[in-house]
Amino acid sequence: MPLLEIQSLQVHFPVTQGVLAQKRAWVRAVEDVSFTLEPGEALGLVGESGCGKTTLGRAILRLIEPTAGRIVFKGEDITHLSANSLRARRREFQMIFQDPYSSLDPRMTLGDIIGEALDIHRLVPSTIARTARVSELLESVGLERAHAQRYPHEFSGGQRQRVGIARALAVEPKLIVCDEPVSALDVSIQAQVINLLQDLQHERGMAYLFISHDLAVVEHLCRRVLVMYLGRVVEAGEIREICRTPHHPYTQALLSAVPVVDCDSKRQRIVLKGDVPSPIHPPNGCPFHPRCPIAEARCRTERPELVETSPGRWTACHLVRGQ
Amino acid sequence: MPLLEIRGLQIDYGSVRVVDGVSLSVDEGETLCLVGESGCGKSVTALSIARLLATPPARYAGGEILLQGRDVLRMSSVELRNIRGGVVSYVFQEPGASLNPVMRIGAQIREMLTEHRPAWANENEIIRLLKLVGIPAPESRIREYPHQLSGGMQQRAMIAMALASEPKLLIADEPTTALDVTIQAQIIELLRELQQQLGMAILLITHNLGIVGDIADRVAVMYAGQIVEEAAADTLLRQPLHPYTQALIRSVPHIGRERQRLESIPGAVPVPGNWPAGCRFEPRCPVAHPECATNPPRLADAKPDRRVRCPFWE
Repeated sequence: MPLLEIQSLQVHFPVTQGVLAQKRAWVRAVEDVSFTLEPGEALGLVGESGCGKTTLGRAILRLIEPTAGRIVFKGEDITHLSANSLRARRREFQMIFQDPYSSLDPRMTLGDIIGEALDIHRLVPSTIARTARVSELLESVGLERAHAQRYPHEFSGGQRQRVGIARALAVEPKLIVCDEPVSALDVSIQAQVINLLQDLQHERGMAYLFISHDLAVVEHLCRRVLVMYLGRVVEAGEIREICRTPHHPYTQALLSAVPVVDCDSKRQRIVLKGDVPSPIHPPNGCPFHPRCPIAEARCRTERPELVETSPGRWTACHLVRGQ
Repeated sequence: MPLLEIRGLQIDYGSVRVVDGVSLSVDEGETLCLVGESGCGKSVTALSIARLLATPPARYAGGEILLQGRDVLRMSSVELRNIRGGVVSYVFQEPGASLNPVMRIGAQIREMLTEHRPAWANENEIIRLLKLVGIPAPESRIREYPHQLSGGMQQRAMIAMALASEPKLLIADEPTTALDVTIQAQIIELLRELQQQLGMAILLITHNLGIVGDIADRVAVMYAGQIVEEAAADTLLRQPLHPYTQALIRSVPHIGRERQRLESIPGAVPVPGNWPAGCRFEPRCPVAHPECATNPPRLADAKPDRRVRCPFWE
């Protein structure tokens, strides 16, 4: 049984206007996304800003309510679970946020930040047990037990991100949604946090949904990846395969745009023209066609479905289907 | 004579030194990348070139900044006005925060033209500049406000504004950091094309080593207020000499490489005011010798056209 099964998930936000807050339009942030996540698996979710990857990550944990579709966690449909029942389930899925500066309460000590999760789920019988557990968690992410008395502002970005990780680990979750956990960190610190996440996964067998705009980071941590564009998955499969031979023209452009430390570069890149269109008025047909270098007439009218183009590889492109 | 020559620049914030003896030079038409992590002093160095730092809290404690042979630190306010936006133009990280939100794009560019090339302060020239930076339909864009443009287009407008005065040196401080990967590639491509077309020099400040290979002729790597290594871009990427540069290059994940553990640099970047007494990288250095903790190394010539601040580079 998969740990998590997402079926045709859709998240639309109303755009309101005027004093009566009349709904004038919809932002189609996530459209018809389906995937499964096995226990202990790390799945990557890649795309540019505005593609809906963060919304999808939050909708899975029901931090944002989906407008349609189903979220099945360990065989149980949690899409419409009440707030109370959901709180108990939340112990099993946690989140690590992008910005380690704004996601920690500046007026709480690290001990309280991490201990709060233990209190809410009544995981520790006494204050002594709580202190012991907090120390253990701090040490497991490479901080010191004495840090429990200190406040977030005393720590650097990388250390704060470790606190965020310790907080997520406190309740021993089965799934952690990591939303760009290293993008706000310095290069030399990024590697430390990536290694830590990798070690923790091996030790504890958690599943990750790893959201990032950086394919290189995702390739390092994940086996499978979903590439999103304008709310839809345009390509999915094994990340090594996708990096070696990207099928979808968007994935090809995304891969060639990643800056690499490479002396023979100044290489020819596929530089996409234009910007990501607005998700309020997504283009007809294939959402990528206005920027696609190989678009044909039917791409402008007919939206390609995500289909299995080779074993384990899914692509949403009319022109890849024949291959 | 180089276009820009910085010699032994020292900048203090209160009693804390943030830039400690930085020397570098940029020739006409050359692209120099200044690479470093946050807090290493790269942005402060860049801002000091047109004396844009607010003093106080900043204080120029020593050194000189020679722009076309004349010391910026000794210029009068009138001379500075001509330098700023004239010889030197800036492009910053957050285009949304750098553009004036209540002025139309066209008017913001016109302002630059009126100040530096008054004979050209007309609509045709503004349209030409917007076309130059690849903004589609510039005739209608000049009447739009910054919020009506996407991040990539805002950055293009910023570049158009910076180019309005036909600067000799364009200083771009993390110009692509706030942008998406595909838009990042567009902007780097644009800067490269503009340089070939207009022949200006570019000083590009970045933390992203990946950009270096794409655009730079030469690279200077900064760590804790000092330059630790300087070389031609391809030499530096192929054969970094300083342990910090080596570690930095190894810690970047690569696409298509065997999945292994990333080599991370232990510890954290030291904060200004708390720099180690000897070599500043010593506490994190994998190959440190005992004497590194006490003897601050000099930035010395290592090979022809290469400088490195480590006596054990061989």
